[in-house]
Amino acid sequence: MIGTSAADVQRACIVPLGDAAALVRFADRLDDQANRAALALADALERSPITGVLEIAPSLVSVLVRYDSDVIDLVRLSGEIGLRLSSEAAPSAAKIHDIAVRFGGEDGPDLLEVAAQSGLTPSEFIAQHNAQPLRVLTTGFAPGFVYCGFHSQEMTVPRRSSVRARVPVGSVLFAAGQTAITATEVPTGWHVIGRTEFCNFNAFANPPTVLSAGDNLVFSAL
Amino acid sequence: MSARLKLLRCGPLTTIQDAGRYNGLRHGVSASGPMDAGAFARAGILAGTSGTTGIEFTTGGIALKSVEGTVRIGWSGGDFRAAVDGVAVPWSSGADLQPGSVLEIAAGAWGNFGYLRFSGEIDVPALMGSRATSMRARIGGLDGRALRQEDELTIVGAGLERQTVDAVDQDLSPVRFIWGIHAEQFTKDVRQRFVNSSFFVTAAMDRMGFRLKDAGNVFEGKSSLSLVSEPVLPGDVQILGDGTPIVLMRDHQPTGGYPRIATVIRADLDRLAQMRPGTELAFTSVTVEHAQALWRSRQK
Repeated sequence: MIGTSAADVQRACIVPLGDAAALVRFADRLDDQANRAALALADALERSPITGVLEIAPSLVSVLVRYDSDVIDLVRLSGEIGLRLSSEAAPSAAKIHDIAVRFGGEDGPDLLEVAAQSGLTPSEFIAQHNAQPLRVLTTGFAPGFVYCGFHSQEMTVPRRSSVRARVPVGSVLFAAGQTAITATEVPTGWHVIGRTEFCNFNAFANPPTVLSAGDNLVFSAL
Repeated sequence: MSARLKLLRCGPLTTIQDAGRYNGLRHGVSASGPMDAGAFARAGILAGTSGTTGIEFTTGGIALKSVEGTVRIGWSGGDFRAAVDGVAVPWSSGADLQPGSVLEIAAGAWGNFGYLRFSGEIDVPALMGSRATSMRARIGGLDGRALRQEDELTIVGAGLERQTVDAVDQDLSPVRFIWGIHAEQFTKDVRQRFVNSSFFVTAAMDRMGFRLKDAGNVFEGKSSLSLVSEPVLPGDVQILGDGTPIVLMRDHQPTGGYPRIATVIRADLDRLAQMRPGTELAFTSVTVEHAQALWRSRQK
């Protein structure tokens, strides 16, 4: 179900983020419908631009709208955003990407642990992990770093208690009902379950990332 | 017309910057850009620059030599001392640096960041529409890294006429902010104490953020809430799990999950960036409309 239902529109709340941006928030916590609503609004803002808006950045359950305060004020901006909240969502044109992953071993040192925490054998865990396509929820935290969700409740494990100072490019991370893929070396408290050759960030390319929020990823084991 | 410069000495965190790399947040890249954008602009006017780039340096100072060609340089920022071939020159100001001549800069009485801008452009590639160094994303500038001794930079393109600008004095009046996107998650008492207490800039400060010392223990023992990650902008004041406030600066993480009580207004971010470790600061709240009016008057 993609689109903004009446309930989403009511839940959307616009808060100032400093004096040159606003955050349109659809929920206080991570929520599938709120994520879809955020992506739909970002899409509507792209299709029907507001004069004075400089940048739109969809996130997990909110959309950042950066604006030129010499061109538009917060009141008018909020009104224009409100109009786009109630507009019809465009037909879904989600792209599908195949992501081949080497699970476990040196590439995924935490696979055994998360499988055990989920009450599964490693191969059962991999099968369940790959059973459904995952949706890209947002890009953030680091260049090209994507959050993908959602896994079933039984596959939901907390983060690690300690942080790894650096995991390599292409690390496939798992926590909080989501899978994330790194595109640069980053520190992380998420479980490292595998590694992919796929790299989502290239500063020399335009656009610099391959995946967009809303795209579907089909994972397979190498 | 081109010139070649060689860095004889530079402190840590010396980077090539331009106005910043915007439209990258959706790709996980924050804008970067100069910590003191106003001083960066003033150095450009003093250089008569036709380019967008400049060098940001810190209290470690910088020394460079023209190894080929004459280059027009402008300098501004916090308070620093400048000399060309051992002869003191005014701060902020500019000069033509002749082949073989050396410009040396050392820290003065206040400020963290200084800027050098040149007649033309520093010859480094633009990435995602900008030449700014992002220390976090490791892109831009010279191979996405800080500059170091022995680096050589080529300046390309002719300059414009050099102009003068008014000097800017240190301003330690309260830093103005707009209540943050999680302000309502803090009690009224904590919000009130946030504006009535003193904070100090600590030595844990860099282009990513300034850690503050919470002298009044405003946030002591406040357990961090588990928040969904949301987009971050420079000036956001986030409170870590142990109660440490951090003002996020130009190389901030693009998203963050710590509660943010305030966002420093654009008109005050430059002078906050120039507050040295040990500087006492206070916060005061303003409305969005007032902040925007201040921004407009500052641009004139």
